[in-house]
Amino acid sequence: MHNPRLMTHVRARFWAQRSAMGCALLALASGFGGVGCGDTTDDRPAQWSFISATIIEPNCATVSCHSAVAQRSGVDLHTRDIGYHNLVDRHFVFPGDSNSSSVMFLMHAQGSIRMPPDVPLPESDIALIGRWIDSGATNQ
Amino acid sequence: MRRIFLAGFATLVVSAALAALPGRAEAYPQFQFSSGTTRCSQCHFSPAGGGLITAWGRDESGDTISLGGDGAFLHGAWSPPSWLALGADLRLAATRTTDGGTESPQSAWFPMQADLYARAAFSDSVSLYLAGGARGEVRPSDPSIGGRASSIPDRFISREHYLMWRPSATGPYARVGRFYAPYGLRFVEHIFYVRRYTGYNLYDETYNVSGGYVGDDSELHVTAFTPPPSSFPDPLQSVGTRESGGAAYYEHRFAGMAALAGQVRLGFNKETTRYQGGLVGKLWIEPAKMLILGEADVARIEVTGVSVGETQFVGFIGPTFFPVRGVMAMVAFERYQDAINVKGAARNAVDLEVNFFPWAHFEVVLLGRYQMVGSGQPGATDASLIMGQLHYYL
Repeated sequence: MHNPRLMTHVRARFWAQRSAMGCALLALASGFGGVGCGDTTDDRPAQWSFISATIIEPNCATVSCHSAVAQRSGVDLHTRDIGYHNLVDRHFVFPGDSNSSSVMFLMHAQGSIRMPPDVPLPESDIALIGRWIDSGATNQ
Repeated sequence: MRRIFLAGFATLVVSAALAALPGRAEAYPQFQFSSGTTRCSQCHFSPAGGGLITAWGRDESGDTISLGGDGAFLHGAWSPPSWLALGADLRLAATRTTDGGTESPQSAWFPMQADLYARAAFSDSVSLYLAGGARGEVRPSDPSIGGRASSIPDRFISREHYLMWRPSATGPYARVGRFYAPYGLRFVEHIFYVRRYTGYNLYDETYNVSGGYVGDDSELHVTAFTPPPSSFPDPLQSVGTRESGGAAYYEHRFAGMAALAGQVRLGFNKETTRYQGGLVGKLWIEPAKMLILGEADVARIEVTGVSVGETQFVGFIGPTFFPVRGVMAMVAFERYQDAINVKGAARNAVDLEVNFFPWAHFEVVLLGRYQMVGSGQPGATDASLIMGQLHYYL
């Protein structure tokens, strides 16, 4: 009742599709290792607007942490301006002196729980924040 | 007698737990293909999956996924009228984390989720979907909680509520309201990088106008979204970057055992513009009882007033095994690089998650996660998480 040629065609198509999917997933997996090996020079701008949008908001203004609703410890970091004033006006940041700024101790988990507590920031991100503080910590 | 006991138990647990808990979006992409269903919307009322499950999904939970039991509402002791579907999710969790800091390790237990769901059909094609629950904290005893959510009314949230036109299980649909714009692998675990860093973290739901087409071999979802207006009360506010924009997701399935999807998302506000796109792959290998899931996204972020943008990468890949009925085990590798051109700006994570479904409506989850942050560079940090969850759904 079965058409042998049709069955052969169906099987071939089935295995071709499976192979294609396997190759796609393999390429995806191998791509992970190569993506973002990057450069040792960090030329990102040490500007608060950049740091807030790319580091602080996605990592800190989350769920039950420093979002507008949760404001854990009374700290709200969900926008550039609000986040800036929360950090600087409340002396988590001392402009010009990253070594005295408590936000650096928090990110390095020195004497306190690490911030952020669930996904630590890479040292390159912390160093960028340190450079912003040392350069005067302006709201630009 | 057993059904009456279970229904009474369920009512008691739900009533007690709804006092103070956070919620999560519920979806198990691992069940696509592996349970014999090819479309997420076969088991969920949502055309893109997640949330309240259908009668088909409830049957699957008892007959295919769990070791036994009746997956129906109230364990089958009482059935709502055909135009109404009800449900609830409750989770308790305990965690132990290490991060190399002076306060590490830390342990916590907390009520993770308490959500109620209702879906009312007004006709064969129009329905209203409501989900509401309570938000909370991992460290609820922490006296430092000082935000608006410290008051009782603001502890509640309706993460999803939408009106939908959907004349049949397959074919075109449209919906308007609050939900996640369909995009990516929407795991239950919101800590996975492909959720957290693509705009789909916990409580990131936006207000949307969405539509698409769901077919047997493919589906398309197109969405325009905007954050809740700031004038809305806190129970309707979202968390995270407040963006407006659009998202599209197209998935094509092959022979009922594989799928390849392409997706794009554009989000913008007065501070940033975010262009994001990626691929999703799913492959079911029946002889091995294994489903491989993968997602890779690249995002380009332009910041207002800054001449230099930033390119990010986020990815997930891993097999999920179904060795015996009632058990699901996933091993995964994740990567998130917040600056693709900077060496050492990456987080890599290895996850091992085991889900045990001893009886319909019950789930035990064990999750181990090891993160390597900035590996190979000075200041590299490792962090680990061990989490146990008890999950009951009504």
